[in-house]
Amino acid sequence: MTSPERALSSGAGVRVRLPVWLPGRILVAFAAGVALLWAAPLVLPVGEYTHNVVGLTFMFMAAALAWNWLGGYVGQISFGHAAMFGAGGFVAARLMLTLGLPFWVAWLAGGLVAGCYALLWGHPTLRLRGPYFSIATIGVGEATRLVATYWSGFTGGSSGLSLPLGGGPTKFQLYWYGLYLLAVAVGLSYWLRKSRIGLALFAIKEDVEAAGDLGVDATRYQDVVLFLSGTMVGVCGGFYASYQTFIDPQDMFSFDRSISFILMAVIGGIGTILGAAAGAIVFVVIQEFLLANYSQLYLGLYGTLLVLIILFEPLGLTGLLIRVRKLFGYRPRPDIAAGGLKSAAVGVDARGSTADQGVAPVEQSAPGERGSA
Amino acid sequence: MAEALTLAVSAVLLAGFYAAMAYGLGLIYGVLRIVNLAHGGIIMAGAYLTWQLFTRFHVDPYLAIPVVLVVFFLVGVTIYYCLVRFLPRGPAGAVQSLLLLFGVWLIIRNLAYLLFTGNDQAIRTTYSTSSVSILGASYSLNRLLVFGISLVALIALHLFLTRTYSGKAIRAAGQNLESCTLVGINVERVYVLTFGLGTALAGLAGLLASTLFAFNPSFGAGELLKSFVIIVLGGLGSVVGIASGAVVLASAEVFSIYAVPSYLTSAVGFVLLVVVLVLRPGGLFGQKVLR
Amino acid sequence: MNDIPRRARIGRLSALVAVATLVAVACAPSQSNREQEGSAAVPDKIVIGSTLPLTGAESKAGGRMKQGYELAVELENKDGGVDVGGKKVRVELKLLDDTTDQAKAVNLAQRLITQDKVNFFLGTYSTALVEAQSTVAEQSKIPYVNGGGAATSIYRKGYTWIFGTLAPVENLATTEMEWIHQQQAAGKLAKPAKVAILWENTSHGEDFRKGVQDFAKAHAADYKTVVDESFPLDGKDFSAVLSKVRGAKVDLFMVDAHLPDFITMHRQYLSTKMCHQVITYGARGSEADAREALGQDGVSYILSAVWWNKQLGSKGLNKEFVDAFKAKHDADPEWYQATSYEAARALLTAVSKAGSVDKQKVRDALSVLDIESILPGSKLSFPQDKGGQASYPFVVQQNLPDGSSPIIHPSEVATGEGVTPNPGCKS
Repeated sequence: MTSPERALSSGAGVRVRLPVWLPGRILVAFAAGVALLWAAPLVLPVGEYTHNVVGLTFMFMAAALAWNWLGGYVGQISFGHAAMFGAGGFVAARLMLTLGLPFWVAWLAGGLVAGCYALLWGHPTLRLRGPYFSIATIGVGEATRLVATYWSGFTGGSSGLSLPLGGGPTKFQLYWYGLYLLAVAVGLSYWLRKSRIGLALFAIKEDVEAAGDLGVDATRYQDVVLFLSGTMVGVCGGFYASYQTFIDPQDMFSFDRSISFILMAVIGGIGTILGAAAGAIVFVVIQEFLLANYSQLYLGLYGTLLVLIILFEPLGLTGLLIRVRKLFGYRPRPDIAAGGLKSAAVGVDARGSTADQGVAPVEQSAPGERGSA
Repeated sequence: MAEALTLAVSAVLLAGFYAAMAYGLGLIYGVLRIVNLAHGGIIMAGAYLTWQLFTRFHVDPYLAIPVVLVVFFLVGVTIYYCLVRFLPRGPAGAVQSLLLLFGVWLIIRNLAYLLFTGNDQAIRTTYSTSSVSILGASYSLNRLLVFGISLVALIALHLFLTRTYSGKAIRAAGQNLESCTLVGINVERVYVLTFGLGTALAGLAGLLASTLFAFNPSFGAGELLKSFVIIVLGGLGSVVGIASGAVVLASAEVFSIYAVPSYLTSAVGFVLLVVVLVLRPGGLFGQKVLR
Repeated sequence: MNDIPRRARIGRLSALVAVATLVAVACAPSQSNREQEGSAAVPDKIVIGSTLPLTGAESKAGGRMKQGYELAVELENKDGGVDVGGKKVRVELKLLDDTTDQAKAVNLAQRLITQDKVNFFLGTYSTALVEAQSTVAEQSKIPYVNGGGAATSIYRKGYTWIFGTLAPVENLATTEMEWIHQQQAAGKLAKPAKVAILWENTSHGEDFRKGVQDFAKAHAADYKTVVDESFPLDGKDFSAVLSKVRGAKVDLFMVDAHLPDFITMHRQYLSTKMCHQVITYGARGSEADAREALGQDGVSYILSAVWWNKQLGSKGLNKEFVDAFKAKHDADPEWYQATSYEAARALLTAVSKAGSVDKQKVRDALSVLDIESILPGSKLSFPQDKGGQASYPFVVQQNLPDGSSPIIHPSEVATGEGVTPNPGCKS
């Protein structure tokens, strides 16, 4: 099947061919955004503290986007992504400490190891649908945490690993590396969603069996997404290690950390392209705001947010944005959220009274019943 | 050999507590197909309620069982009416219910922090450290009582589900929803009842936990995870299946000390969980629906 | 598909990615706008930044540390403030809640240091938090004194700006073993004695285990370690590991655990009718919570060792501290308040000795500080060969059936006699 080519010719007569799913204007907007963020700290008078926090936020945005590939695009909610975050972080830290590798090599290596680890436990468990997969991820996360804490030779045990100061990039410089990380994550988010892979994932999401009939190999596509997600989160772990210069297993692999990825994606808009990134920003802003004044309320606040979002606007911020834009005549595409969470904003009713649903045939998919053994 | 026997008894006693932990989660999932992530929070709340009754009104924990059951039944009904009722059923609802109930858990945790601070609390009765001699070895009286209550709950639950109309209605809803309405079962009422009952059982587990362990608002996460392991291991065939899963998990944890260092025995459960999910998604006993 | 052959496309893509990576890696501006720190002129007030877990898992300890820091600052301000080169300067403590979260502790420290520009920093509580937070202080080159991080790993990183008043937990084990050794020499304990070490898998537990093991190795003829197992926090059942201990016929039962695990384990210990010549749970046992959870009979004869105990407060500096604390809070201080109080006091004393608020000068003053102290050994210094961590003996206590918990070791400060072997095992 061929797809038509579009050529973009610039004034200098160079013909650049862009794939059909990448409109020129999106590329330009993306490049402009990156350039702006790149130059901003050099031009604007931001304090050192804010600068550092923004750099770290870039990393969280990248991690949240990566989680969203699995949780939003594929629809499998992972409660154990901290396992990859920690794996990437510790591999990177170990490489920097023991072999003295430059930080970006260590991050990439950490990311790849994390991606492979994700494939290791994920390939067999992705067959499971719905909550059983999520439960499995909880098991993976916890087991990883316990084993990592025990494996003190590699992770330093509960004492963790300390990177020598001055050995890697400073927090100041990490702003830019975080930006690059984010750029890659945004690019991949867009590509995964809009290209043929995205189409395939969407088909799998809607009806796995029908997709199979059309030649879409669910397993292969899910594995690709899982690997990419694990790798990106692993690289973020390496970033975090360089940023904090001290990491320990209890913190890196904690259940709370896995939860934070979920919260960011859900708050922003699970399944949308950039929602997770927006959610990460909100997450950090809330943290910063609560930190000084109402630190003992943050759990309840996140909980209330989650409840409100699920009940009223499953697409979170993105859903709210869509509602606002609808007032100005914007009509959202039905596939704006590649996920099981359909939102009223997009026109499909998420709620029905259980009275009618009680009569409708209910899909009670038990684990492993997906079709193949 | 004598030590192995002692360990076996310890494993069974532990299984009693574990089973009590898992009944509520299993019931709700078996019927509503909802993973109650607030389960851990309810267990913690149950522990705190028991503790308050003990310290303020000097009510012995075991005598507080009826109070705790009633209170948490009402709590469950409330959560259902205010929140869970609005979720779509089926696969789409699964994801949403996960997240919604997780949010509820966070709220409960925060409430506990605000009311009681993060300090560890413990209940000590006159018999907290008493022991009972069985076959020459000594065992904790408390653990025996917990086991006993769990067994009673098991029997009561089983009888309820098999002998009473409501119980059978619950099982029917878990098996085949369409047919339920055909025979005139009010599905909505069944859901309310199930959720309330599941929450009440979680509260009971919290009560039992409070007699054995110290607790703080973070309590419950580990219990939640282990409850998952149990319902996966035992399948959702019946409450007896859940109890069997509990025995398997407890035995694995206790006896694995012969194979792995003591620290890793707690990881055994999670590894077992993943392995079983991958190899036998229907649980060790091959059941998929609540019979 | 496209009219460019697939191989060429992949080739072009890889080249692009490689170039982009190289460009990205090379391009990150370095910090050019590093402001020079303020002059060493004496300011109108000294601001000390600090974070503590006032909420979250360690809120109890955090609240107590807060009392210690605040008391020291208050007493200093009472006579006008710190004497800096002849001028009295008031001290302000800027204390924030890090909710027992590592990332927050780091974050808040960053904020206090770079945004609020505090002069000095008093550390948070719990090893993991201190370890994470201290890197910020070291990078920002600001004197950091803490009364809440005991693991030696904090002080073994070669940092020069970090100082701690908590002696290493290894000393806890060593001090207890010293007393045990004395009893063994007097013929009251088995010789050689079989030791079981059970430790929580945290750096606290690791250090405790190391202390016991090192001592046992140094006296190999007298001690044999027969059980050495770690356990994760918040366990629900210790029957397996206790069964191992039973099987090994142990004489000395040495455990390092935090309160919930201590309660769970000891309840199982008691109800399975176990008993050993010496029982210790590290720092646990003498506190009121233990008595409440286990009953007086349950805690009798348990050995414990802490960094400081109010029974040290009979004269001198100690009495002043205890009296001042009692006057303010109408309660007795525990070790948390003592070590945090000393940390703040040491910092302020160093400022005074340096005669300046210049960070480097204060840091140097701290490194050579040698003052009288309320801590056991009566002296406080931050030996640089130990990375800036104070080192002094612990006080060993034993719970007696009458409800008291006298200090039984070291003998200079002992208020009672220890009882060995455990009389509770007679039956």
